[in-house]
Amino acid sequence: MYFRFPTSYEQDLQLFNSPGQRARYVVAAIVFATAPWWASEYLLSQFNLVLIYGIVGLGLMLLTGFTGLVSLGHAAFLAVGAYTEALATAHGWSFPLSLVAASTLAAVAGIAVGLPALRLRGIYLAIATMAFGFIVEEIAARAESLTGGNAGRSVAGLEIFGWPVNSEARFFGVTAVIAVALVFALRNLLHAPTGRALIAIRDSEISAQSMGISLARYKTLAFTISAAITGMAGALYAHKLRFLSPDQFTLLQSIEMLMMVVIGGLGSLQGAILGAAFFVALPQVLGEVKDWLPPAIGQAPGLQPTLFGLVMIAVVLYEPLGIYGRWSKLRIWVENFPLVRSGTFRRQRTYQRSQRLQ
Amino acid sequence: MGAGAALLTLEGISIRFGGVTALREVSFSVRAGEIFALIGPNGAGKTTLFNVVSGIYPSQAGSVVFDGQDLGRVPPHRIAALGIARTFQNIELFDHATVLQNLLIGGHTRRRTGLWQDLLFLRSTREAECRLRAEVEQVIDFLELQHYRDALVGNLPYGVRKIVELARALCVGPRLLLLDEPSSGLNAEETDDLAFWIEDIRSDLGITVLMVEHDMALVSRVSDRVLALDQGRVLALGTPAEVQRDPSVIEAYIGSADR
Repeated sequence: MYFRFPTSYEQDLQLFNSPGQRARYVVAAIVFATAPWWASEYLLSQFNLVLIYGIVGLGLMLLTGFTGLVSLGHAAFLAVGAYTEALATAHGWSFPLSLVAASTLAAVAGIAVGLPALRLRGIYLAIATMAFGFIVEEIAARAESLTGGNAGRSVAGLEIFGWPVNSEARFFGVTAVIAVALVFALRNLLHAPTGRALIAIRDSEISAQSMGISLARYKTLAFTISAAITGMAGALYAHKLRFLSPDQFTLLQSIEMLMMVVIGGLGSLQGAILGAAFFVALPQVLGEVKDWLPPAIGQAPGLQPTLFGLVMIAVVLYEPLGIYGRWSKLRIWVENFPLVRSGTFRRQRTYQRSQRLQ
Repeated sequence: MGAGAALLTLEGISIRFGGVTALREVSFSVRAGEIFALIGPNGAGKTTLFNVVSGIYPSQAGSVVFDGQDLGRVPPHRIAALGIARTFQNIELFDHATVLQNLLIGGHTRRRTGLWQDLLFLRSTREAECRLRAEVEQVIDFLELQHYRDALVGNLPYGVRKIVELARALCVGPRLLLLDEPSSGLNAEETDDLAFWIEDIRSDLGITVLMVEHDMALVSRVSDRVLALDQGRVLALGTPAEVQRDPSVIEAYIGSADR
C-alpha cells in the first residue's frame, strides 16, 4: 500500500503520481520498445494496427471522452489524412512534411465541421458529423483523378529521408514514436488550462461559460485537435495498408471508432489505447476460438459484430469507464489486498437533474 | 458596512419569454461592498435577473452597467473576466472532475499560457499552474475544503457540493459574487457556516455579494439591503426589516388581509 504525501505543488504536476505507477509504465515501455526483437513479423503488424487505431482513439477520446462531443464522422478525418498522405507521397514529399500536411488538412476539415457544430448538441451533432462523413466518402468515390475512385488507389511505401521503412519492425518504430509523443502531448494538455476547459464544457456548458470559457473557441479547438490527430493516424494508415478505397472510410468505421473509445473507457487516454488493442485483438481471438465452438455458433455469420455489440452493452451496463476502469479497479484491489471493502467500488447514486426536481 | 458607489446598476430591465413577462422594468443598483439580497416567491424572476447579469439572456430592454461598463453586448464568457462570478440554483459543477480541478477551472480567466505551451507543458505552464494552485489553495483554506481536494465532485454530499460551487466562484477572483439560493438544501449547521462565510467574503475579501435567497433568517442576518420581486416587478427595496414589514411583500407571500 502506498500513501502519497506531496509537499509541493510541483509534485502534483509530475507525470506519475506513485513509484508503483512509474514502475508499471517503465516495464511496459521496455517490453514494447524491445518488441522488434521478440515479436514475430505478424505480431508486430498487429501492434502497428493497434497503434494506428490507438492514435485515432486518442483523437476521438479528446473530442468525445473529454469534451463530450459525439462524432460519427471520424472515418472522414482518417480519410482526409490518408488520401493527403497518398497524394503527397506520390508527389515526392518527404514523410515528416507529408505527415504535417495530412494532419493540417484534416485539422482544416475539423474546423469546417466544428464551426457549424457549435450550435448542435448530442444526437444532432452526431447526425451532422455523420453527414460530413457521407460527404467525404462520396468525394473520395467521385474524385477519381485524386483518389482513384471506387477502384481504389495504391500508396507508395514509407520512406523517411532515404531510409526505407520496409519492415513491420521499422514501421513499428515510426508509429510508436508518434503515438508516444501524442500521448505525452495530450496528457500535458489535459493537466493544463486548455484541457480543463474542455472537461468543463463536457460536464456543464452553462457553468463553463460563467467561468469565462468561450464555448465556441474551445469546441472548435477540440474538433481541430481531434481531427489533426486522426489525420496523422490516416497518414500512417495509408502506408500500413498501402491501398486506399472509399469503402474503408464508411459510417461503419466511424461507429467502430466510437465503440472503441467507449469500450476502452471514456475519459482516459489509456482507454483509447486499450480500446484499440481490444478492437484489433477480438477478431484474432475469435479466429482462434472459432474451431472450438460448436459449428452452429462458431460458423455463424455476423459472429464478430454480435460479440462487439454484446461487449458494448456489457460495458454500458456494468462498467461505464470501460476496460481502463476495470483495470483501475483490479489494481486498487490488488494494492489494498486484503483491506478492500465490499463497497469500495459501489457507484454512488447521483441525482439526475430531473430527479432533483421531483 | 462599507456601502460605496454603485458597482452594478440595472435600469429598466424587461424580459419576455413568448407571452410571459419574466421581468418588467426592473431597476436597482448594488453598491460596492454591500450584501444585497433578492427575495420573492417562486417564479418572481430572480434567477432570470441573474441570467441577465451573467449575460446568458440578453436583456430586451434596459441596461446593465457593471463598474461603468455596459454589459449589454458582452458575451457570457467575457463576464467572468470583468469580475462577476456566480453559482447556480441546482449546482452546476463539473461532476466527473475532482474538487481541485473544479477550482482550477474557476481560475480560467487568469490563464496566461497558450495551446502550444500547454501541449508541451513548458516552464511557463508549470509556473503558471503552481501560481494558480497557490491561489486556489487559499480558497480551499478559506472554505475548509482540504479534506475534499482530490474527491470527485459527483461522489460528494449535496451540502459539500454547494460549498465547492461557492469556492469555484471565489476562484474566479470576482468583485461581484452572484449567489443563487446558496442555502437551499443545507442543514441548519451548514447554513450557519454559510452565513459566516458570506460575511467574511465581504469583509475579508472585499467582494460585493448579490444573492437570491429564500431563507429569511439568513437574509436578515447577513444582508444590508433586500429587494423583493413578484411576477417580474419590484415590490420593495430597503433594509431586511423594512422589506419584511412592507404590506405588498406580505401580500405577495401570504395574501392580503381583507378581501
